[in-house]
Amino acid sequence: MPTPAKDTLSHSNVVIVGAAKNLSVHVVRTVPHRTALLLATSCVRRRLLPRLACPVMAIAAICVALPAALCAHTIPDDVTVQAFAKPERDHLTLLLRVPLKAMTETEFPLHGPGYLDLARVDSSLRDAATQWISDDLEVYEGNTRLLPPRVADIRVSLESDSSFASYEQAWTHVTGARLPVDTQVYWDQAMLDVLFEYPISSDRSDFSIHPGLSRLGLRVVTVLRFLPPGGAIRAYEFLDDPGLVHLDPHWYQAAGRFVEMGFFHILDGTDHLLFLFCLVIPFRRFRALIPVVTSFTLAHSITLIASAYNFVPNTLWFPPLIEMLIAVSIVYMALENIVGQTTVQRRWMVAFGFGLVHGFGFSFALRQTLQFAGTHLLTSLLSFNLGVELGQLLVLALLIPALYLLFRYVVAERMGTIILSALVAHTAWHWMIDRWAVLRQYPFQWPAVNAAPLANGLRWMMLLVIFGGLTWFLLGELRHRAERDAETKPARVP
Amino acid sequence: MKSSRIRPRYAALLAALAILLGLASGLLKKRAAVEAAAIQAPMFEVDPLWPKPLPNHWILGQTIGVSVDGQDHIWIIHRGGSLEPGETHAVTNPPIAQCCAPAPPILEFDEAGNLLKSWGGPGNGYDWPDSNHGITIDYKGNVWIGGNGRGPAPTTADEGRAAAATASYNDNMVLKFTQDGKFLMQIGKPNHSKGSNDIENLRLPAKTFIDQQTNEVYVADGYANHRVIVFDADTGKYKRHWGAYGNKPDDADLGRYNPNDPPAKQFRNPVHCADLSVDRLLYVCDRVNDRLQVFKPDGTFIKEAFLNKNTLGSGSVWDIAFSKDPQQKYIFLADGENDKVHILLRDTLQILTSFGEGGRQPGEFYGVHSIATDSKGNVFTTETYRGQRVQKFVYKGLGPVTKQDEGVLWPKSAAK
Repeated sequence: MPTPAKDTLSHSNVVIVGAAKNLSVHVVRTVPHRTALLLATSCVRRRLLPRLACPVMAIAAICVALPAALCAHTIPDDVTVQAFAKPERDHLTLLLRVPLKAMTETEFPLHGPGYLDLARVDSSLRDAATQWISDDLEVYEGNTRLLPPRVADIRVSLESDSSFASYEQAWTHVTGARLPVDTQVYWDQAMLDVLFEYPISSDRSDFSIHPGLSRLGLRVVTVLRFLPPGGAIRAYEFLDDPGLVHLDPHWYQAAGRFVEMGFFHILDGTDHLLFLFCLVIPFRRFRALIPVVTSFTLAHSITLIASAYNFVPNTLWFPPLIEMLIAVSIVYMALENIVGQTTVQRRWMVAFGFGLVHGFGFSFALRQTLQFAGTHLLTSLLSFNLGVELGQLLVLALLIPALYLLFRYVVAERMGTIILSALVAHTAWHWMIDRWAVLRQYPFQWPAVNAAPLANGLRWMMLLVIFGGLTWFLLGELRHRAERDAETKPARVP
Repeated sequence: MKSSRIRPRYAALLAALAILLGLASGLLKKRAAVEAAAIQAPMFEVDPLWPKPLPNHWILGQTIGVSVDGQDHIWIIHRGGSLEPGETHAVTNPPIAQCCAPAPPILEFDEAGNLLKSWGGPGNGYDWPDSNHGITIDYKGNVWIGGNGRGPAPTTADEGRAAAATASYNDNMVLKFTQDGKFLMQIGKPNHSKGSNDIENLRLPAKTFIDQQTNEVYVADGYANHRVIVFDADTGKYKRHWGAYGNKPDDADLGRYNPNDPPAKQFRNPVHCADLSVDRLLYVCDRVNDRLQVFKPDGTFIKEAFLNKNTLGSGSVWDIAFSKDPQQKYIFLADGENDKVHILLRDTLQILTSFGEGGRQPGEFYGVHSIATDSKGNVFTTETYRGQRVQKFVYKGLGPVTKQDEGVLWPKSAAK
């Protein structure tokens, strides 16, 4: 046999490190160059125990050192699942392609050095499709979870087969001729193609899916395409378990998802929160707070939306530049607080400027998730923004009273402002230095500007000029009328 | 009191600006259309952060093959034995230092550059090559390797010349494994070759290609033989072989390559690649003769092209990979002597443009040896000699060809 790699230890006893996803217990084998090799005690669960007792018995089982060969095969690192979902009249067709090696506990009939016995493999394939795929897939029509599907067809395919490039090819392949029985394909180099059919009441219903396929590997990427009747194909790509995914979301479903995303994004964003903190320390009163926070909000909305519509330089150095500028904005704001003598007008103008930068920062996190917006891109962006604002408001609602109490009972306002700002400035300074070190590694070059995007950009500028001019005209007219009314109104006589 | 209405002159200025922008936009749109119609070629940028650092103080030696499997995982093969003593101080007895150790010969990476698997080396039941060479993942996911190890060196120049013509050498085989390193099949036995017309053994085979339609393996054979030979990929049964122009190959010494001589009637050594396109044309790299010959699968000669014909030394035509569009419109040619990758139009075998330069930085090469593409159009290259690495060039779409030599494809845009 080939000489094993040097870092592989013999499979004797294993050491438990703890429970993890899906309540399966992960048993870690000490292989240095991987984070863990998983021997889920779901092996034990599936063969011996009912589902509900799994966690308890699994924990009991892990207390005993088990030979690592308890389960036949290791869980693969990297699994890609390709899928199509298409509602047609009274049934929803779900076509999936999953690597056979991901179904680690299923024993497939083999011959020779490990080739699949294609003449006898069908029933194992069906078992595997049910246990490893459909049991973990929740499909909903509206709010109703659909019943478990029928396995309409199932195939073994070679890794090189490219039928899943389109739904039609995939369907033809899965319902068409099988691989010749004498094909020599090693079992863990084959793909399982399965066609599920779910009974539905209407192909125009709202469908959603919860693909709990993260059991299949350490890292599971699912590429799903939804083909609504008469509509454009919707493509999704998600990592592990993304939760419930509405396949053709209504505007309010997209909005809800993005409000939630925006809300939690700002709460996770320490640098944004610190900036906000510095912004409001000297201006805690309501009348001062409104213009400052509003201008910050408006500014980051502009750049967030611009970024989502790709009006940003598509260069490697741009994200680290933005990260560094965010740190700079915090340092600046903290220093301005320390120096003092800032006015509301100055503060809201600075907040607007830096808000533009923070908007780009928000957008980097948003890119991966825009696929869940469906056709409601703008709604989703605005909802994300709304979520960010709600998060901001929550933070302010907690922060302002806390600052009030601090400055009233603990330390004088001016002293307190200086101390807090100094602490923030110190943290942000270090971030700035670190992010500058990262940015320096990128060679700076102007992004390549071809004729096509430049033409688009100029068209947008033209629209902005027209819009800006109209706004200026209207504002001027309104002010002129107000002035004229003031002139003609008789003066009050005491 | 000053009126707050917009003044007519400002309004006129704004209107003029809007018209100007509109006109400029219109003109640029026309230019964009012209650009789109120009000669186009795939564009790339090197990804300097691919692959990620290897664990275990592992280091790569001469990286002598690359292939991409159906999962878009990238496989390479390298020679741990080509490392300098100072590069292997972690494996001396006792260890001189913490670093480094040769990585296992075969490594599998995912798209992000994470190392997934590593294995290889001598074992029971098969003859691991003295000097492994080339790796191919076939349509079933099996791993094929070749070798160009000659065995003990001749002690005199006369012996050397005699050996070149008649010696069997050691690496007379190709091997097939599963992706986990389980041995499946060997074609040929070490030190058994009888030359270019031996139908049972190879002689320093360089590369394999497995045809899905017929389940045949094409072997570019290689560093000592002067042919392409075809076997059944499951049984190893001999099918056919041929030399340059489809003629019967012979092992006569052709002497040094001279670009002013008429084209050689036989391949020189090495015959370095044999790759079949979707429209069933077999492209064979006749490296030192600086040419690419094209055949039908049965060995019928179709045409040839000379590329950088004046290149001496190790030649210009090292390895090819096809672009991933359905028609395989482009060929990417690794030229390890000029340290470039050429992009050819497959129909005409004309070089559209080239990229790369000799050097050590990302996007530069020393002995660019093998090349492969993934399903997204990204290109992967490996380097031999002291290049000793694999590089990824990220596909950036089609663009107009404005230069014959793009130089180093330094990154200027986001990787994704």
